[in-house]
Amino acid sequence: MENGGRSKGLWNRIWRYRMIYLFLIPAIIWYAVFCYYPMYGLLLSVKEFKYSLGIMKSPWVGLKWFRNFLSDGQFYLVLGNTVKITALKLLVGFPAPILFAVLINEIRSHGFKRVVQTLSYLPYFVSWVVAAALLTKLLSPYSGLVNDLRLMMDPQAEPIFYLGEPKYFYPVVILTDLWKNIGWNSIIYIAAISNIDPNLYEAAEIDGAGRIGRIWHITLPAIRPTIAVLLIMSMSGILNAGFDQIYLLQQPSTLQVAEVIDTYVLKKGIQQAQFEYATAIGMFKSLISLVVVVSVNWIVRKLSEVSLW
Amino acid sequence: MVRRKGEKYKKRRMGERIGDGMLWAFMLGVCVLCLFPFWYFLVLSFNDGYDTLYGGVYLWPRVFTLDNYRQAFAYPTILNSFAVSIARVLIQTLVSLIFTALMAYAMTEKELPGRKGINFFFFFTTIFSGGLIPSYILYRQIHILNTFWVLVLPGIFSFYNTIVMRTFFEEIPESLKESAKLDGAGEFTIFCRIILPLSKAVMATVALFVGVGAWNDWFSGAYYIQFNQKLVPAATLLYQIIAEASFKVNNIKTGSNIMAAGQDSLATAATTPESLRMAFVIIIVTPVICIYPFLQKYFVKGVMVGSVKG
Repeated sequence: MENGGRSKGLWNRIWRYRMIYLFLIPAIIWYAVFCYYPMYGLLLSVKEFKYSLGIMKSPWVGLKWFRNFLSDGQFYLVLGNTVKITALKLLVGFPAPILFAVLINEIRSHGFKRVVQTLSYLPYFVSWVVAAALLTKLLSPYSGLVNDLRLMMDPQAEPIFYLGEPKYFYPVVILTDLWKNIGWNSIIYIAAISNIDPNLYEAAEIDGAGRIGRIWHITLPAIRPTIAVLLIMSMSGILNAGFDQIYLLQQPSTLQVAEVIDTYVLKKGIQQAQFEYATAIGMFKSLISLVVVVSVNWIVRKLSEVSLW
Repeated sequence: MVRRKGEKYKKRRMGERIGDGMLWAFMLGVCVLCLFPFWYFLVLSFNDGYDTLYGGVYLWPRVFTLDNYRQAFAYPTILNSFAVSIARVLIQTLVSLIFTALMAYAMTEKELPGRKGINFFFFFTTIFSGGLIPSYILYRQIHILNTFWVLVLPGIFSFYNTIVMRTFFEEIPESLKESAKLDGAGEFTIFCRIILPLSKAVMATVALFVGVGAWNDWFSGAYYIQFNQKLVPAATLLYQIIAEASFKVNNIKTGSNIMAAGQDSLATAATTPESLRMAFVIIIVTPVICIYPFLQKYFVKGVMVGSVKG
């Protein structure tokens, strides 16, 4: 490749980069311990775990835990909830930041644009614990703001316990997800839009394109590659549903619709110490996500020559 | 002809103006939605707890008091929790910045033998992982469960942060490195003397990401630290206080707010648990709210550089 590289041989080239390898050593060790060792720990899903024996020496039990959860009615409920929540979030939460970025770009006053952007990032920087606390108060049946407003408009209205009723759970989850992430997720689109050549807009204006025309024919086509990449990336979270949010907003009375894979794994695994069973479910989830990301990446690459790898 | 064209132009100007008006109205709405919940809590946290129970306090405190904050800071483990959180944020941010920068710099080396394999080794962890339980068992096996280190070590590297840094480093002109090499500088000197001083924007960005992540993480404290209240970070303390409250609401369900207040372990003569919780929320979000707007110009730039390449 480089001058004389071939004759000097591989070892010389490696030796030349010894400092670079040294820089990588902490990362490699960390990834091996904190990412790859847990992958090895997935073996638990085919073992009967004895802590004293360690993972490898614990006895094999074949697919016992997989059979267990596949014949467990609760599991299908949880899987269904997870798919529903993720699908709704993708449907609403994926296009919303694109639209928001486009609208931000249409603001002509720089000062106002900056203020809107700064404030829209605010919810992203607080934790879900804080967001859940805010929401619990706003939606509280005891003098919460939303119920107060309803009472003001209709004094006969009964206060509603929004967080305790299953039918309100998905709307609350979708709306709070939007509130928390729309500003932050739009940053990358705003950046992509700011890279568009301004001459294109001027040319369109001379051709008589209105505001909508400019957005439709210039802005959106220009950010298509960014949209494609983010779509693939969002696929890796296909069964995530948003652990923090769901876990903090669910109540015993809403579990029927609110229990998702991640919260179920936590309860079975850590709270009830059924390590192998919970690992099997977790592994099922990881494998599905992997298959989905790889196939979506493949499809998008075929269609648009954009891909993650 | 000229007149007609002018009219058409005028009409379009009108259209754009109406559009602008709607846009402003919508964006003002967005600002209110993002800001108001925090303002509401700020107001309530400065309002007398028992007065708040009558309702009707929205935009300004009715009976101003500092009691909620006095009670919050008198809460048994709160100062300790903040000390844990601050130590955690500082250590994790520092360690993470150093090692992520080294890793990102190494990954800019295009001719490195084995580069593709190393890249894949890191990247693969973003699309497949062992998950919660195997990680939990790992922490138990390396004896960091119930220690300070379980709050710091698992969050040191993030592939996303590495990519943000790597992309930034790649923008630095190769010629700077080349001329330093001709002068006999080693990789470490180039890294410290050339790369780092030019990378303040991306360093600030990643420091913000890591720092806020460490400050906000309540999960590790809740599940990896179980029998040691002394090591519980502030975010987890808030979680415990709120979880206790929602448990109470569920058990009572009917009955007045005042009754609920009386049964709560946080109730005191000076204030109600609800107002105390609001003071807690404000205390915990204040540092973050004060810091991120000042770093905005950096993280927008940092993310921007990354977005060019996708």
